[in-house]
Amino acid sequence: MRTLLGRHPIGLVFIAPYVVFLAAIFAYPLGIAVYMSFYDWFFAAPGAKVDRPFVGFDNYVAVFQDPAVLRSFLNIAIFLVINVPLTVGLSLVLATALNAAIPFRTFFRVSFYVPYVTASVAVVGVWLFLFNSDGLVNNVLGGLAPEPSWLVNSGLTMPLIAVYVTWKQLGFFILLYLAALQNVPKELYESAAVDGASRIRSFWTVTVPGVRPATTLVVLLATITGANLFTEPYLLTGGGGPDGASASPVLVMYQKGIEQGHAGVGAAIGMVLVIVVLVISLINRYLLERD
Amino acid sequence: MKRTLIALVTGAALALSACGIDDGGGGGGGQDASAAAAKHGPITIWYSNNTDELAWGKAAVAQWNAQHPDEKVTGQEIPAGKSSEEVIGAAITAGNAPCLVLNTAPAAVPQFQKQGGLVPLDDFPDGKSYVEGRTGQQAQQYKSPDGKYYQLPWKSNPVVIFYNKKAFKKAGIDADNPPLATFDQFLDTSRKVVQKGGAKYAILPAPTSEFFQSWFDFYPLYAAETGGKQLVENGKSTFTGPEGTAVLNFWNTMYREKLAGQEKYNGDAFADGKAAMAIVGPWAIPVYKGKVEWGSVPVPTSKGMPANAIHTFSDAKNIAIYSACQNRGTAWEFAKFVTSPEQDGKLLEQTGQMPMRQNLQTTYPDYFAKNPAYAMFADLNARTVEVPNVPNSITIWQTFRDAYSSSVIFGKSAPDAALRDAAGKIDKLATGS
Amino acid sequence: MRHPVRLIALIVGALAFLFPFYYMLIGSLQAEPDTTPKGALPTGNLTLGNYADIDSRVDLGTALLNSGIFTGGVLLCTVVFGVLAGYALARLHFRGRTLVFNLMLLVQVVPFQLLTIPLYVLIVRTYGLGDTYLGMILPYAINSAAVFIFRQYFMQLPKELFEAAAIDGASELTILWRVALPLVRPALLTAVLLTFIGPWNEFLWPFLITKRADMQPLAVALANYMTNVAARAANPYGALLAGACVLAAPVVVLFIAFQKRFTATDIGSSVKG
Repeated sequence: MRTLLGRHPIGLVFIAPYVVFLAAIFAYPLGIAVYMSFYDWFFAAPGAKVDRPFVGFDNYVAVFQDPAVLRSFLNIAIFLVINVPLTVGLSLVLATALNAAIPFRTFFRVSFYVPYVTASVAVVGVWLFLFNSDGLVNNVLGGLAPEPSWLVNSGLTMPLIAVYVTWKQLGFFILLYLAALQNVPKELYESAAVDGASRIRSFWTVTVPGVRPATTLVVLLATITGANLFTEPYLLTGGGGPDGASASPVLVMYQKGIEQGHAGVGAAIGMVLVIVVLVISLINRYLLERD
Repeated sequence: MKRTLIALVTGAALALSACGIDDGGGGGGGQDASAAAAKHGPITIWYSNNTDELAWGKAAVAQWNAQHPDEKVTGQEIPAGKSSEEVIGAAITAGNAPCLVLNTAPAAVPQFQKQGGLVPLDDFPDGKSYVEGRTGQQAQQYKSPDGKYYQLPWKSNPVVIFYNKKAFKKAGIDADNPPLATFDQFLDTSRKVVQKGGAKYAILPAPTSEFFQSWFDFYPLYAAETGGKQLVENGKSTFTGPEGTAVLNFWNTMYREKLAGQEKYNGDAFADGKAAMAIVGPWAIPVYKGKVEWGSVPVPTSKGMPANAIHTFSDAKNIAIYSACQNRGTAWEFAKFVTSPEQDGKLLEQTGQMPMRQNLQTTYPDYFAKNPAYAMFADLNARTVEVPNVPNSITIWQTFRDAYSSSVIFGKSAPDAALRDAAGKIDKLATGS
Repeated sequence: MRHPVRLIALIVGALAFLFPFYYMLIGSLQAEPDTTPKGALPTGNLTLGNYADIDSRVDLGTALLNSGIFTGGVLLCTVVFGVLAGYALARLHFRGRTLVFNLMLLVQVVPFQLLTIPLYVLIVRTYGLGDTYLGMILPYAINSAAVFIFRQYFMQLPKELFEAAAIDGASELTILWRVALPLVRPALLTAVLLTFIGPWNEFLWPFLITKRADMQPLAVALANYMTNVAARAANPYGALLAGACVLAAPVVVLFIAFQKRFTATDIGSSVKG
């Protein structure tokens, strides 16, 4: 019995509702997505007689030959390289600062949290105001303003979106670290202080290792949400402009799969993305959780 | 063990999906089409949540319900914007689409039709004759490749150029009769208005990459230049000829000389005085009332044309009957009811949109006498050009837009070459492959 | 305070984070849109008209109630079942644990846009849940990111705690309830705040599920309002920002109310005690 079910069979009971939920809600749509990606698929009315032939790996071949798709994967790589380290670094430092006994703690916590809760439509409007060519930022920069301006400069849009998403999500990741910091034993800081460690040193030797599971979490969640980037190129740069420089794989998938009705190709893009992100996530997890 | 488990789960899911998505049921079949077409009873319809249109729609439904207690119509609102196509597409797939959607976008019709989501109006004994009788020659553009009508042409918003009289005066341009008829005149006027500080940009069509944006920069001018050609005709793209090149070069010059902006404006550029001109439909009249002192001209052409020969983009919304509908007889009766001379008149009165009906001005002389600003749109209503009703319609527009954006707007390559390349892809798409 | 530098850095950071919110607030109060830098200052041109307009067109009470049902249902499921799942994944050894963990990752990795239509077909056709609150809640019912968060925080707890309790003969449920949960309270709160925001701001899904205005949550009502006033309001942009402020306000208030609970449960002493 033990060997069959594991050391804690009760775990199966605990996990059961979640597994049932996954099976009832995700197995079917996900199965369809996999299935679609091997067919010349489109969504049809129930009972309609339609021709949707099996095409093997054709959709995948098409995906890898489509410059727009390849470009979107490159874009997302640029995005992740900027966004993930920035998110991890800033949120840990800010969470540490916010965890200390500082004045106006509530005020600070709320201010960092606010962008996270605000609907994208509104926040995007504000960023447009800041970063368009006559915007506040260019006014402040004067002669140093980039030409062409931020959102129409193919070299700058993706980094700008990466910074934007960091800013928008940071409040949430700060919360994750704040929660983790509550569980780092105070004694460790005290003994570090007794050993004469500076604050920066105790940050490195106590805080960073103390919140390691949270770091795994932050890295994985930041990678996953980043890889699923959609709203920003959809709203901020009007459909992945300029000239595809800010298109993300999910945006391209949405355009092809939903807008244009080529669900098979859209599903293939989705599957490639899922596999890539899953591989990155598992590597991340391996690197961060090994002892 | 683990691997077999994964394989089992995936296998089961696949099998489930495969049978789940193909299980029949629902009435979309062929043989019972005429029976379904005769069925009457309560129906649900969707209309746009645009304020004026909603008021009109609610009143029309109420009037119908008062006259037809056994065939009650329930109206539900859907957003006027782009997400409405997604919502309709999902409802078709799930088999719970309403009977009618007022505001079906013509560009989405080929896709809905391919999905098996639409009922051909030819199923109704008087379907074809009603459509052609009401709309006349213009109706041909709405015919699907199989020769049937899957949409009832309803209302158009023909686009024209609005200009800001104050900005023009400031730049020393005759604000009552501005030279905007030919491309050269338009460019000169644009240069003047920008150089003399009339506005930052002469005109600012959205320079973004959404598939539909070309309907509001390239397409109206192309329609005018070609005397009414669609982007694709007889399964071949038409825009690589001299007319297409002229229009592409015109816009390319506008962008190159920064008379048009490459960046999306956050707000209404015309209302805020950032752009001295705008490409708009009749909806613009109430929007700019009291905000901008405007004048209007038809879209320009390379050599100039008299206003009564100009074609333009229709920006139409149509009525379609969806295959999930059981009581199609009622749906068709209601469709005819809301496009009757009486309801068309009310729609015109309340929203200023142009019912796609022949002889609009002579049918509603009082309205156009009272509202002369709308007369130009009514005149254009007879010469509107629709998006082509071909397979892969939206992919075609996205392909066009991508090439246009990179070459014409951002100048990364020569417009000619980029659009020739796109034409090759579009020809293939239009055949349905 | 010995660290003025840190405080200054925090203030600068906070301003960078607050400014857009502030700007949104100002923009929502403007009678005429003013996108010049001067417009960011509260100098005249202010009105409550945009808010009055929302109040007159949107049934805020019903919309709030619907939002409450929608997010409340999601929160309840996530907290109850998510904690159980997270605890099992972190602390218990049973067959298939790795598989479930990988599935949990997989679910988060799959973009929602890929699943939307099949999921809609499943819920509306197979389960017959169109026009119901349950149909609205189901896809979000157990937030996988929250399960992941719970797992990570349970993992962070020292092993000795559990060993001691197990020696006392406590059941796993008791250990979870009496020992583990009180210690991860901040994580619980984080997960709640995370889970909350998804359904709260979600527009497309609830709208797909129901077209009945009396069942639509606030985000849908406001999105509908925004699209339909965009063309006609005196200041469409202000109307949009006002809508966003209305949507954000309850969340910010809740956050202010709850954030005090973030203070530490002192784990050091509980290990010793």
